[in-house]
Amino acid sequence: MDWNLRPARDLGLTPADRLRSLGREPGLVGLAVNTAWRRAVRAYLRTAHRFRIEGHDNLPRSGPFVMIANHASHLDALALSAALRGPAARRAHALAAGDLFFANSARAALSAYAINALPVWRGRSRRGDLDTMRARLAEDSLAYILFPEGTRSRTGEMAPFQPGLGMLVAGTDIPVVPCWLEGAREAWPAQSRLPRPGRPLTLTIGPPLQFPETRNDRTGWEAVSSRAEAAVRGLAPSRQGGAQTAGGGQKPPKPV
Amino acid sequence: MIPHPEGGAFAHPVTTGIILATLAVLAVSGLAILWLSHSGRAKPEFRRELWLRWASWCVLLPLMLGPVLIGRVPTILAVTILSLACYREYARATGLFRERVLSLVIVLGILAVNFAALDHWYGFFVALWPLTACALAVCTIPLDRPAGYIQRTALAILAFMLFGAGLAHLGYMANDPGYRPLVLLLLTAVALNDVAAFTCGKLIGGAKLLPATSPNKTVSGAMGAVVVTTTLVALVGAAIFRGTPLANPVWLVAMGALVSVAGQAGDLLLSSIKRDLGIKDMGTVLPGHGGVLDRFNSLLLVAPAVFHLVGYFVGFGLTVPTRVITG
Repeated sequence: MDWNLRPARDLGLTPADRLRSLGREPGLVGLAVNTAWRRAVRAYLRTAHRFRIEGHDNLPRSGPFVMIANHASHLDALALSAALRGPAARRAHALAAGDLFFANSARAALSAYAINALPVWRGRSRRGDLDTMRARLAEDSLAYILFPEGTRSRTGEMAPFQPGLGMLVAGTDIPVVPCWLEGAREAWPAQSRLPRPGRPLTLTIGPPLQFPETRNDRTGWEAVSSRAEAAVRGLAPSRQGGAQTAGGGQKPPKPV
Repeated sequence: MIPHPEGGAFAHPVTTGIILATLAVLAVSGLAILWLSHSGRAKPEFRRELWLRWASWCVLLPLMLGPVLIGRVPTILAVTILSLACYREYARATGLFRERVLSLVIVLGILAVNFAALDHWYGFFVALWPLTACALAVCTIPLDRPAGYIQRTALAILAFMLFGAGLAHLGYMANDPGYRPLVLLLLTAVALNDVAAFTCGKLIGGAKLLPATSPNKTVSGAMGAVVVTTTLVALVGAAIFRGTPLANPVWLVAMGALVSVAGQAGDLLLSSIKRDLGIKDMGTVLPGHGGVLDRFNSLLLVAPAVFHLVGYFVGFGLTVPTRVITG
């Protein structure tokens, strides 16, 4: 009798390597820590930042999908994961800068167990790493939280999107959910060590995009990036220049 | 009741003897590896492997023997931690950890059965095996996901049998005031059993035991281990069970053979699991050994088997208070 036995993807790794592995699959302990952390963050955001979510119906209930947003603050990933519920929340991984969030073992443990982050190594991401992430997204029905700008904006202006997002979803039916987070830069600026309670925070979730016909190559990735960038910009309040890309994310755009 | 003299942890001469023998083996093996390193007879990677194993034992032995020497509660706590560590490795190797509900029920079952041991409540202790099996059989039905039901339920029930109900017998033994020499004997005898099988196999050689399951094991090794372990367990057992119905040469030899055969069966059981999955080690926690399960596999079946043999002739903790927590 042949059974379908699938060992953990991170089997055989030492505990330190496992924390930084893209194949890390949380067990009961990881799930409990992550759930407790997410609930605590949600409670904090609601009380200290009057956190509001608009367009919650646009979020798929379960994976696979990719949530993308503008990036101005460490609060961003926390706020996006706080918006998730049910199976999607339990399978959500924030893609975080390895050099910052996985710099030492203590930070790596916090990032891996509490935030459920997967490390992305800026400037030296290997193609194999992206292939692993792309494969896991579909096979394990994950939800990725990703900031395609690549780094936090110091000015509040959104930077152009990097092509990495396209490498994950080009040529698949996996939805990309554009989001705009307003107020995060004031609530926790990049220069500040700690968040500043009292500043309001609003998350706007737009209708998902899909890229089934997009080619999985550089031109395809760039097409994904520019459409995703337009969709995110379209969700920004008007002073952010939403008019230039009017309608970018308001109606479900056709696949490229 | 296992006969026991009044006094502290070292009141029984067998306890002292096993601890001294263990320290002596550790010292002699350390010196032997040192000599091997200096003489330059062994390859560097083999020497490294030997040192890793030896260092692992130096950490592991105090963690194994220490709680047994300290007392009943630390012994049961140590067995609980061992059970959870074994389950974790098994769940990650088989993929059962993805079934959150089953994993949670198994963890709760492990905690409950060890609590029953801590409470010295034999009725609940034995009831938890069928009760947990029933809970495991039904707990994933409400998910309305029949695909894979047989596989996940079977994996879960095997896990609870081996790491929950089975291993907990080792902790339950500590409810008997005279548990120390017996538990120490089991812990050291299964290790000796492994070493005897390896050594006899290397010295005598010959036909493979079960080449598809475990290519390095030989028939001569298995037989040699039975002879060595049976002799040792029967002799030490005679000193532990003096004056009880078990102190009969036939039963003492049977107990020794049971330790050896159940120990090797546990080893082969884990080998079968690993072969089926196509993996070499269950984990990386113990350098030189692999995972916790790679080290403690032999204990999985020995604990319940010896418990019930001794329970039949002598009994555990029959004269001490029961249900010490639940009242």
